[in-house]
Amino acid sequence: MAEQTQGAVALSAVIADAATGVALALQGGGDPYALSRILRQDDPLAPAAVRVLGADALAPYALEHRAAPGGADDEAVVRQTLAAYPPGADASAVSAWSYRGLVEASHAYLPVGDQPWPRPPKAGSDWIGTDPWPKLAHRVSQLAALALPGLAADLADQLAARTDDLARGFVRAVRRRDWLQAAGVGRWLARLPDVPPTLGLDAGLAFVRQMGGADPRVALHVVAARRFHGRGW
Amino acid sequence: MTVPAASMVSPASAALVHGVGDRALTWIDAHRDHFRLTPEDRATGSAMIERLKPIGELAVNMQVLFREGVAGSRQRTRAGQLLDFTWRELLDGGNVLAALQHDEPHSPVPLEVYAHFHELGHRHPGLEAALEAARRTTTWTTLEMVPNRRLGVLNAERKLGLAPSADFDQALERTWLGQLPEPWTVQLHIAYDITHTVFHLTDWGEAPDRIPPAIADYLSRYLPAWMEDWAELEHWDLLGELLIVDACLPRPTLDARLWQRYAAAQAANGAMPIHHAMPQGDAAEVFDQVHHPTLVAAFASAMATSRVLSGDAR
Repeated sequence: MAEQTQGAVALSAVIADAATGVALALQGGGDPYALSRILRQDDPLAPAAVRVLGADALAPYALEHRAAPGGADDEAVVRQTLAAYPPGADASAVSAWSYRGLVEASHAYLPVGDQPWPRPPKAGSDWIGTDPWPKLAHRVSQLAALALPGLAADLADQLAARTDDLARGFVRAVRRRDWLQAAGVGRWLARLPDVPPTLGLDAGLAFVRQMGGADPRVALHVVAARRFHGRGW
Repeated sequence: MTVPAASMVSPASAALVHGVGDRALTWIDAHRDHFRLTPEDRATGSAMIERLKPIGELAVNMQVLFREGVAGSRQRTRAGQLLDFTWRELLDGGNVLAALQHDEPHSPVPLEVYAHFHELGHRHPGLEAALEAARRTTTWTTLEMVPNRRLGVLNAERKLGLAPSADFDQALERTWLGQLPEPWTVQLHIAYDITHTVFHLTDWGEAPDRIPPAIADYLSRYLPAWMEDWAELEHWDLLGELLIVDACLPRPTLDARLWQRYAAAQAANGAMPIHHAMPQGDAAEVFDQVHHPTLVAAFASAMATSRVLSGDAR
């Protein structure tokens, strides 16, 4: 038990460091991005951290000119992750979708090497139509990495029909001071086309960063919303 | 553009919603003597203003029950009896209000309380003469008060058929709600500013169509988030007021899940706690703490029952 707790603490620290590295790269700071620079390939926690960050591990490659194309080291850690953590048959929708996001991001942002990338697995989407809004917002916040441009186009189309429900979720998350959820939902709202102006999303994202930005994953979502969708300041 | 209602919400049944109000009214009726002013209250003007507040609240809430008439004839009779009791016994046929006006000639409080009784056909010519004199001053129109309170004064003037002392639309624009600010900034006091703006704007729910479309859209969008949050925080007084706002919207949610939680918070004797569970203490202390949320429960129930029965929920 103690070992498990220590392991969880160590993993959180690795995820936090990696999220900080991604956010910095998205803001244009430092050297050209390489996943293998922020997560050492020989770190036994690297694949688990990549699994948690999902598509965000490759987010800087979605920027033009900011990153050298992903190299062989990056490819290796992503392949390792995909092999180590496939969603099982009874995996949650969030698990299936975040895995799918990583696969889609690999297709989109990493060069095709000798070995083809696995095909994006099917992930159920009934919940988008049936979840009550608080549950929907929570799930969507856990899939914030899929808000990267070009990924999960069908998810984005379906979520557009529930923009108002996600706006409600953003309000509730900020009220509850659940900054990670607020940042994740806010990032998705930044990608959707018809966010109600009364939501005040730009000021909202800035507020979430101000209040919750000590968590690198919160900062990453807010930075990504700004960098890719021009929302927030 | 109309705002899609919160998805996957089922409306509450009439029995659930009505039951909350029926129990609340039973409690109010059983505790009506606690609303009485004591001789000590009447001796000092400031204490009287303080003690007049619950009486004003009793009046407005009973007027809603009386008006909505959805509570059934038995409840309508009880509400009418409580209104008569309030006018005759608590306010001494309006003499208490006239005395207060004499103490504080430019206070809007007597006007605000009197408006409900005037509408029900009660008259106090002496008070009306005093109000007329007060209303002719520049002070009357420039009294400093929060913007939603100004709407309350304007609504009371409207109820009395008096010329408005300010432009209603401009007064609405000055409220928090009138500006449609970022909904995620709402905290407890702002939430009460919102509910009170809606109460005055709609004349306590009688004219929901006075809510301008932009405000109705804004509330349809964000009210579910606020209701959900204050239900989780178990703030029953505010949740009750938010449920009233919901029942004033063109397409109310009348959310069954929220109404169930609200009903479950009510004590067996009909009292509604303000926050979390029922307070402990002697009868007078408990009354001071729960009379407001319990009146709100009766109000919310009457409004929501009306909307449930007319099948307005989404």
